[in-house]
Amino acid sequence: MKKSFFISLSATVLWLLTGIAYSPNGNAEEKASRITVVGSTTVLPIATRAAEKFVEKKNGGISITVNGGGSGVGIQSAGSGRADIGMASRNITPRERKRFQNPGLRVLPVGRDAVVCVISSEVYSAGVQALSKEQIGDIYLGKIKNWQELGGPDREIVVIDKERHRGTRHVFMKYVFGNENARTPGARLVTGSNNEEQTKIAQSDSAIGMLSLAWINDDVVGVGIREGDEIIEPTLENVRRNRFPIARDLNLIVAGEPLGRVKEFVEFMLGPEGQNIVAESGYIPVHPN
Amino acid sequence: MDFFRISTAFMALISLVLIAGLFAFLVLQSAPVLAGQQWSFLLGQDWWAGEVYGALPMIYGSLMVTGVALVMVLPVAIGGAVFTSEFLSPNQRLWVKAMMELFAGIPGIIYGLLGVALLAGWVKDSFGLIDGNTILTAGLLLGIMILPTILTLSEDALHAVPGQYRDTSLSLGLTKLQMIKSAVIPVALPGIAGAIFLGLGRAMGETIAVMLVIGGLDKIAEPWYDLFAPAQSIASKLGREAAEAIGSGQQWSALMALGLILFLLVMILTFMGNLLLKRVR
Repeated sequence: MKKSFFISLSATVLWLLTGIAYSPNGNAEEKASRITVVGSTTVLPIATRAAEKFVEKKNGGISITVNGGGSGVGIQSAGSGRADIGMASRNITPRERKRFQNPGLRVLPVGRDAVVCVISSEVYSAGVQALSKEQIGDIYLGKIKNWQELGGPDREIVVIDKERHRGTRHVFMKYVFGNENARTPGARLVTGSNNEEQTKIAQSDSAIGMLSLAWINDDVVGVGIREGDEIIEPTLENVRRNRFPIARDLNLIVAGEPLGRVKEFVEFMLGPEGQNIVAESGYIPVHPN
Repeated sequence: MDFFRISTAFMALISLVLIAGLFAFLVLQSAPVLAGQQWSFLLGQDWWAGEVYGALPMIYGSLMVTGVALVMVLPVAIGGAVFTSEFLSPNQRLWVKAMMELFAGIPGIIYGLLGVALLAGWVKDSFGLIDGNTILTAGLLLGIMILPTILTLSEDALHAVPGQYRDTSLSLGLTKLQMIKSAVIPVALPGIAGAIFLGLGRAMGETIAVMLVIGGLDKIAEPWYDLFAPAQSIASKLGREAAEAIGSGQQWSALMALGLILFLLVMILTFMGNLLLKRVR
C-alpha cells in the first residue's frame, strides 16, 4: 500500500520535472494568433479598446493580451521579445537604444497627450489654480513645503513622484527641470501607474502630482501652467493647438519590422478606426481622418 | 523497503538542489554589481537606475516593517494561541484553527487593497499625518497578515505538549497561569519559535501588500526610528523595478543582489533566533 503510494508520488514528481524541462512553445500558427502588448498605463486604454474591436473584427481566431507596467517595461519587453508590441508615453532613452540596438526599436506614434500637474481638489478650490515651472520645481526640490506659500491653505504639501522609468515622469521632469532624470528630494511618495497616482492624490487633501490628461477628474484637478503673465489651462483644445507646454507622443514600440497579425494590429491602431479610439480615450489622434 | 528509501532520498535531494540552485543563481546574477560597487552597494543610500545602486534604504525598510509587524503581532498571536490551546473546548478549538488556516491562505493583494482602502486612511487620521503611506502602515498590515500563521502554528506547538506535564503541574499545586508559564510554554518553545520564523519569512518576502502602502521612497527616515515616514522594502523595490530590467544589465544585477540580501537576511535572522533559543533553554 505504502509502496505503491510512493511509486505514484515519484512518478508525479518526475512528470512535473519533465514538464518544467520541456515546456512546448506551441506551434508557429498558434503563436501568431496571440499578440501581447505591454507597457505605459497611459497608452493602455487605447490598446485595450483597440484590441477588443480588432478581435471582434477578426471574428475570433486571435487573442490579444494587454498589460500595464510603465513605459520602461514596455520598451524593455518589446526589445527583449517578451512582448510583440510595447507601449511608451515617452521617447526611448539613449541607454535603452543602446541596449536594444539589435534588432533596433521602431517608434510609432499613435496619439498625442499632455502631462498635467495635478493637485487635490481641496487645494484647487482654496485658490491654487495655476503654478509656474519654477514653483513646481521648488515643490519637488523640497524648497516650498506648505500650500500657504502659494496662496493656498495652511497645509503641508504631499509631493507625489513616480517610478523613474515612467514616461509621464520623464516628460514632466524634462519640462520642469530640463532633465528627465531630475532628482526630487522633496518627494514624499513614489507611485507607479496613472491609476495608483490618481488614487493617492484623490485620497489626500494636499497632494501634488503628475498625470496624463485623460486621468483628470473631479478629485484630481489639473492646474494651469503660468508662463510669464499667461496661464495655460490643461485642456485638449490647448494641446491640439500646441499651446500647452508639456505635451508628448503616445507610442507603440516594435522591435524590427512588424509581421503578420502584429503588423495588422498596428495598422489597425494607426488607421481610422484606431484613431477614433484614440479620441474616445481622451487623447488627440495623430492621423486625423 | 529499499525503494522507499531511495525515492524519499531523491525527493529530499530535489528540495536541496532547488534551494542551492536558487542561491547559486542569485550569487551569479548579482556578481556584476557586487564586483563593480563592492561595499558601496551594501552601504550606499542612493539608488539611481543606470548610475548607482545603494541598497541600504531597502535593507532598512525591510527590517523596520518586519520589526514593527513582529512587535505588533507577537503578544496577540501567542496570547491567542495560549487561549485556544488551554482554555477552549476541542470543538471550539477546531473552529478557531479552521478560521486561522483560512485567513493564512488569503493572498497578499487582498490585504494590500484593504490596506490602501482602510488602513492608510486610518493611520493618517488617527495620528494626524499628512499622508498614511508609512512604515507603521506597512508594519501593521504585515502584522495582520502573519497573525493567523503564527497563531495557528504556535497553537499546534502548545497543543502537542503532553497532558502529563499539565497534570503534574496542577497536582503540584500550581495555578493554571503558573502551569502554562513554567511547564507548557517552555516545552513548546521550539515550535513557537519555528512559527515566528515562518511568519517572519512571509513578512520579509511580502511584496504587493507592502508595495501599496509603504510609500515607495528609497530613503532612510530622519530620525531612523520615525515610523510615520515613508520607506521602501527590498521586496517592494523588486516588485516596482524588476519588470523594467528583466534579464540583463547592471540594474537587473542590482535587483538580484537585493534578492540575495533578502535571502541572507532571512537566513541570518533564523540562525540568530535559533541561537537565542538554545541559550534560553
